[in-house]
Amino acid sequence: MASLSLSSSSTHFIGSKVINGSEFHSRPISVNFRPLRVSAAAATCESSTAERTRRSTYNMPRHISSPASLYEVLGIQMGATCQEIKAAYRRLARVLHPDVAAATRQNDDNTAFEFMKVHEAYETLSDPEKREVYDLSLFRQRRPVSSPFAMSSSAAAASGFSGYTRRSWETDQCW
Amino acid sequence: MDEPAYTVVSDSETTGEEKSSSAFPEIAIGIDIGTSQCSIAIWNGSQVELLKNTRNQKMMRSYVTFKDEVPSGGVSNQLSHEHEILSGAAIFNMKRLIGRVDTDPIVHASKILPFLVQTLDIGVRPFIAALVNNVWRSTTPEEVLAIFLVELRAMAEMQLKRPIRNVVLTIPVSFSRFQLTRIERACAMAGLHVLRLMPEPTAVALLYAQQQQLTVHENMGSGSEKIALIFNMGAGYCDVALSATAGGVSQIKALAGSAIGGEDLLQNMMRHLLPDFENRFSNHGMNEIKSMGLLRVATQDAIHKLTTQTDVQIDVNLGNGSKVSKLVNREEFEEVNQKIFEKCENLIIQCLHDAKVEIDDITDVILVGGCSYIPKLRNLVMGICKKEELYNVINPLEAAVYGAALEGAVASGISDPFGNLDLLTIQVTPLGIGIRADGNNFVPIIPRNTTMPARKDLVFTTVRDNQIDALVTVYEGEGEKVEENHLLGYFKITGIPPAPKGVPEINVCMDIDASNVLRVLAGVILPGCPHPAIPVMEIRLPTVDDGHGWCAEALYRTYGSTLDLETVQKKI
Repeated sequence: MASLSLSSSSTHFIGSKVINGSEFHSRPISVNFRPLRVSAAAATCESSTAERTRRSTYNMPRHISSPASLYEVLGIQMGATCQEIKAAYRRLARVLHPDVAAATRQNDDNTAFEFMKVHEAYETLSDPEKREVYDLSLFRQRRPVSSPFAMSSSAAAASGFSGYTRRSWETDQCW
Repeated sequence: MDEPAYTVVSDSETTGEEKSSSAFPEIAIGIDIGTSQCSIAIWNGSQVELLKNTRNQKMMRSYVTFKDEVPSGGVSNQLSHEHEILSGAAIFNMKRLIGRVDTDPIVHASKILPFLVQTLDIGVRPFIAALVNNVWRSTTPEEVLAIFLVELRAMAEMQLKRPIRNVVLTIPVSFSRFQLTRIERACAMAGLHVLRLMPEPTAVALLYAQQQQLTVHENMGSGSEKIALIFNMGAGYCDVALSATAGGVSQIKALAGSAIGGEDLLQNMMRHLLPDFENRFSNHGMNEIKSMGLLRVATQDAIHKLTTQTDVQIDVNLGNGSKVSKLVNREEFEEVNQKIFEKCENLIIQCLHDAKVEIDDITDVILVGGCSYIPKLRNLVMGICKKEELYNVINPLEAAVYGAALEGAVASGISDPFGNLDLLTIQVTPLGIGIRADGNNFVPIIPRNTTMPARKDLVFTTVRDNQIDALVTVYEGEGEKVEENHLLGYFKITGIPPAPKGVPEINVCMDIDASNVLRVLAGVILPGCPHPAIPVMEIRLPTVDDGHGWCAEALYRTYGSTLDLETVQKKI
């Protein structure tokens, strides 16, 4: 199937709109329903300053709610060592992992998606090969937030429209 | 027939407990149900404590005997002799049988047990029965497990002087989600609520994490990461895990497991001693049961002795004039079981590969389970990991239940002023989960060793023009063909708008939440259409009940490929 038809059709999903980031009118709908999940989606969307400000009002660490890159998801510098990446991952896991969140009586669902996002960032950055590819894509695209490695699943969930996400990232890159 | 000994907790009882728990949180107990032995432990406020039964045993034999009016299990029952378990009236090895259909090789291998295991080889649950007063009393692994759990629960409640409701149970890595539902059902029958089902080696990993935490307390959150390889082999199952531990966080990198264990070593050895033993035993008469019991005990004894001696003399009179008299040495034992040891080796290699961990990076090698005393296994594991010695500050038989009790305390929200419960396990999926597509192929959507919670999706399409229905059949496992995997359930997507084949996009999304609940979501869109063609379906799995292995077959026979799906090729 042609990538063009794939991507064009996928824009009909709310999930894709979030990723696409160009049709903001769809967002407030999901915001009303599940405000915290939307902040998870921020990982995968290029957001305007206004969007960021609005979202940062939610009670979540800023680097998680509106990260500019996977490094920001983990709250580390671009040149971070492998050790620092792992330590950051564990530090965040101790806060965001649903097991911990359950014990501190936070909402399971939200932290689950936050954790998935953190894990995905960790998976990419802790693998030297994946990290290299990612770093290159950061450099080339100059629009890091729509990185192909950003988490598609959390985006889908965040949109409040479960089951639909964008296509595989390869097709996304054809945009 | 007798009234079942298990109780189902009434609603009033449950709510009563929940009220009291708000003031004083109930600590979940940890239970390790082994194929051969079982133990129970709890966090007592400052450390984990293993509970003992009235005969002062921490390790209790996992069996239930039906010979008396009320069935009784290894927790309370006093065995006059080992042979009593082998009289035909007792059911054991239920962990090997639970959640398996009668086409499963493990079920077939269980036919030589002294109780009755019959198969029709059509994918239904096997017929299992105990011999009571010359009558076969049928039962199920769930019932046997429930009776056993009732005894465990009563014992714990007596000692702790409070009702027990929440439990953390350890399970083999290779258990399918369908098998997990059977375990949960057995617990429900015993009035227990499953808080967590924890793969055995991950429970051990949690204990290891706690021990590491105690030794390097100053380096919280950062510190040096320790990689541990955990190898667990009991009577029924073999599991391997690789964990990365630092600052009390035990991150499971990969799991691998298989239904091989001491029972297989035993059966191979019995076959070696008495080559035609399966035929001799096939009709399950009283005399055969008795002689098989004698051979079993003698062989088991010999295997135990071979862990410390290099050879052992076996002399056993099987009755009816037949006798086994043989000197067996350790090499013979290792040769007879060579295939089993090879499988163990492969599991370790696979686990290392999946975890992307280099052998040199392994800090500690932990060997647990009843088989961990076998010299061949110890050497094998140390050989692969290039280690001169094993991690030795862990009790191989108690490690799993210890970890389960820790998890029970952590998951119950208990905190410890000294930070001993400052622990977290990051689990992975032990098996891949996917659907049937592209003919008879298994297409994984969530691959094995994916960190949980997880959410993944794939796009499929129709195989025929104007196909309006599609069957989503969900399987779990590692086989390429669907029949090599465990069926978890199926549902039909109906109302797909008529379109040429390959045009409708059918998105199948799988979601595993923090409590390991699997949901499958399916939606359909047509290119150029602004809205999903039909409402998104969301189904919690597994949905299959007992013996539905044959249902899938019947489905495919009835519908052929009319409801099939195929994967949408990724553009590169």
